[in-house]
Amino acid sequence: MKTKQIIYLSTLALAITFTSCKKDKPDAPVSTTTSAATYDNGVFITNEGPFGSGTGTVSFYSRSSSTVVNDIFQSKNSYPLGNVVQSMSVFNGKGYIVVNNSGKIEVVDAGSFASGGVINGLTNPRYFLGITNDKGYVSEWGAGGVAGAIEVIDLNTKTITSSIATGKGAEGMVKSGNNVYIACSGGNDNDSVVTVINATTNAIVKTINVGTNPKSIQVDANGKVWVLCIGQWNGSYSALVKTGKLVRINTTADTVDLSLPFASTSSQPSNLVINSTKTSLYYSYNGKVYAHSSTASTLNSTAIINRNFYGFGIDPTNDYFYGTDAGDYVSKGKVLRYNTTGVVVDSFTVGVIPGNFCFK
Amino acid sequence: MNLFKIGLFVCLFLYAFLGYAQVRVDSVKQLSPIEVSSSRLTKFSSGNKTETLDSTLLNRYSARNLADLLSNESQVFIKSYGLGSLATTSFRGAGASHTAVLWNGFNLQSPMNGLLDMSLVPVNFLNEVKLQYGGAGALWGSGAVGGTIHLNNSATFNKGISVMANTSLGSFSDKQEQVSIEISKKRIISSVKLFDHDAKNNFPFINTAQYGKPEQKQSNAELKQYGFLQENYFKINLRQKINTRFWYQHSDRNIPPSMTQNVNVSNQKDESFRVTTEWERKGEKLQSIFRSAYFDENLLYSDSLINLRSKSRTNVFITEAENRFSITKFDLINIGINNTYSRANTKDYTSDPKQNRTAVFASYKIHSTKNTWNSVLSARQEFINNKAVPFTTSLGLEGQLLKYFVVKANAAQHYRIPTFNDLYWAQGGNPDLKPEKGWSEEASLIHKHAYKAFSWELGATVFNRNIDNWIIWLPNEYGIWTPENVLKVWSRGTEYKLKLNYLLGNFKVQLSGMYNYVLSTNQKSTTVNDASLNKQLIYVPVQNGQGNATISYKGTSLSYTQIYTGYRYTLSDNTEYLKPYTIGNLSIAQLFSLKTSKIKVYATLNNIWQEAYQVIAYYAMPLLNYQVGLTFYFNQPNGNTGL
Repeated sequence: MKTKQIIYLSTLALAITFTSCKKDKPDAPVSTTTSAATYDNGVFITNEGPFGSGTGTVSFYSRSSSTVVNDIFQSKNSYPLGNVVQSMSVFNGKGYIVVNNSGKIEVVDAGSFASGGVINGLTNPRYFLGITNDKGYVSEWGAGGVAGAIEVIDLNTKTITSSIATGKGAEGMVKSGNNVYIACSGGNDNDSVVTVINATTNAIVKTINVGTNPKSIQVDANGKVWVLCIGQWNGSYSALVKTGKLVRINTTADTVDLSLPFASTSSQPSNLVINSTKTSLYYSYNGKVYAHSSTASTLNSTAIINRNFYGFGIDPTNDYFYGTDAGDYVSKGKVLRYNTTGVVVDSFTVGVIPGNFCFK
Repeated sequence: MNLFKIGLFVCLFLYAFLGYAQVRVDSVKQLSPIEVSSSRLTKFSSGNKTETLDSTLLNRYSARNLADLLSNESQVFIKSYGLGSLATTSFRGAGASHTAVLWNGFNLQSPMNGLLDMSLVPVNFLNEVKLQYGGAGALWGSGAVGGTIHLNNSATFNKGISVMANTSLGSFSDKQEQVSIEISKKRIISSVKLFDHDAKNNFPFINTAQYGKPEQKQSNAELKQYGFLQENYFKINLRQKINTRFWYQHSDRNIPPSMTQNVNVSNQKDESFRVTTEWERKGEKLQSIFRSAYFDENLLYSDSLINLRSKSRTNVFITEAENRFSITKFDLINIGINNTYSRANTKDYTSDPKQNRTAVFASYKIHSTKNTWNSVLSARQEFINNKAVPFTTSLGLEGQLLKYFVVKANAAQHYRIPTFNDLYWAQGGNPDLKPEKGWSEEASLIHKHAYKAFSWELGATVFNRNIDNWIIWLPNEYGIWTPENVLKVWSRGTEYKLKLNYLLGNFKVQLSGMYNYVLSTNQKSTTVNDASLNKQLIYVPVQNGQGNATISYKGTSLSYTQIYTGYRYTLSDNTEYLKPYTIGNLSIAQLFSLKTSKIKVYATLNNIWQEAYQVIAYYAMPLLNYQVGLTFYFNQPNGNTGL
């Protein structure tokens, strides 16, 4: 009797075990990772990737077919991009993808996305700017996140040829005339300058004081340079001791000719972008997106989009506003497209923590 | 010669002298029962699934850390960032801070992040590890959500001198020494355990995350650790006992880069001082226990690449008093009070936080005359800085059924208070956070039997658990990262265990197997159209299992363990995952018995099937690696050689 019971109950336990072994393998990811032949007429979205470990990715949104293809780098080249994909620029048919924490730039064919080599030896690189057929600039925070520099790259050999020390935390770059203007964001510290470099000689022309922690930079139709200073927190991060500022530089004299301070001591402005005619700037502030005409001398008090985005960009072909939503930061994020009147057109899923756009 | 080595020398000298005196005094030895501190676990936990990793098993892992032990020998999932790197636990699909780790009853979870790095606990400092699955907030307070790990020390009076000395060498320049010396007299026991560990951990691996998939050597992974545990046990009289413990440990580790990073130059130094004392009086009617502890933990994390130098220090004072008595012969009552005072000092907080927690707890146990059935009702009310946290209860039942079966059932409330990081982090810390809380339920059926030379045990458990107000960090409308009580996590699953022993004379065969099936899903949206809704939490394997076969004959033992870890999602929308892996570890030991001493020679081969795997995405793990060692035992109680 006892033995019978034992056998019965043991069999029952085993039966439960095996019936509970249901299909374990997860469903294949739904994303369309079939590599398209060429990536033309569209938008590259750089996705930073999960924090700490992991890899960032690049997604491509095609304007003509209104479809998105995710993780196009790995599906073409069979290895991941690296840790924290910061930004991407297309220059002379090549894509330069800046991978921050891996300290490198992956160079790809901008059409096929086939790997065309790596620029190594960078420390906390942020953005790439093509200068001539043979030369490019990379802004970087440098060692300790405070030794800001522009690394001059030989685009043929993909090596660093020289290094130009700038203010701390070299970030956004823009070219106006023959000069390159670099916003020095402070990196892991604070700074308040825009370093101006002659693009031919690589020499520093001037260092302009603009306001605390200038981060994004744009050039308008008149060749004037706009800088968004994000301000500075107090020691306990409870209030801004220096509030944000939108600053305009007259590039003839390389002096500040307009400085518009933000009132808030709890919100930093961020993400300065410009439209196709280079007459209207957009930035986020207080959890909203504001527009600013390049001829206006006061800040707008009404927002054009009442929500916050992790990153955004303006499509130069139709002035659509692209904003990113990183969700919970550990799942695939979204891109939302808005028309020029601030109405949502559509949205699509991209990679983890979408941060920057590269319009092609 | 560093301070540690001088200390080691002095200790050895001192003990050699004391030992000499001891040999003469205690010529006649007699067995007396082991003096285990009377934890609430044995007397007042009922219905929870428990697992005991005894001294024999611990001895096999004496040159390893707690993370290695648990990942090989238990059903707890260990999330490891690599060889010697941070390792945290997940019980039944809960988070890392949902495991209470109690060292002789004192909670070791950091008040700053709620964690204890399992790779920093040397196995040779422990005499017993008990794993209590399921929530037990009423018994252990905050953090006992997924499960509780009990790290216990014990000693036996009147055993004379015993010595254990081990030296081992392993792959990737791993060098270790362990020494334990114990002097046990009629009324006093004094012991010291030391360890010293150096490793380069520069293992080769194929970096599939880099162009051309190059073979690389792990960089910046060196570690240097040492420490000691000194214990004293006194029998004041027949009724009263007192013990003291002092655990010092120093760890200096470099943090290796992940496969997608090119360089990492960061370093982490941990230093801890832990002092405890426990007094116990066992009267005829009343048993009283009074224990207190002081922990001083220091951490320095530096990363010159990002100019980071983060120093932190925490002090924790724990005082606990308990009284046990019976009204009838069918019951046992426990009433206690716990005060935990924590403070932290770091530049990452605006000011130095101080937290005063007082909890009153009580348990009522009712049992049958032969103690074959029992049921325990427990309750706990905690106050943090005089503010009440949720009242917590539990009800458990266990008993024998049909002679060969044991049934267990438990329903318990659990909670976890927000950590200092959650509350006070300089930017984003949220002082208004509520504790996470919820219910867990479980039922087990265990069958145990022995027949001739065979004995076996089969166990099956089903569990269910809800955690509300689960804290996660997300950016607020201004883009500032801040923690909120948002998630609602539902975990449920089944666990199976099988053990078969065959013992005939000197020939012993042990077979064991474990299998878990755990679903742990998020039940609440954090954002609009949240794709993580109803999806499995990241880094929680749905399935894992392991099997072990050990054969021993006289002094020779051969053991093989195979561990399977199933798919783990790396994104909360479950669109990306890590592939399952199977690890096989083989160990061989030969014991040579001399007159009063024994010598063990052993070799362990880990990952013999050369599985290239990742526990955390893009963190490389070593392929085949080995450890060989030599252990000397003098006068060790039987079974303490790990064979």
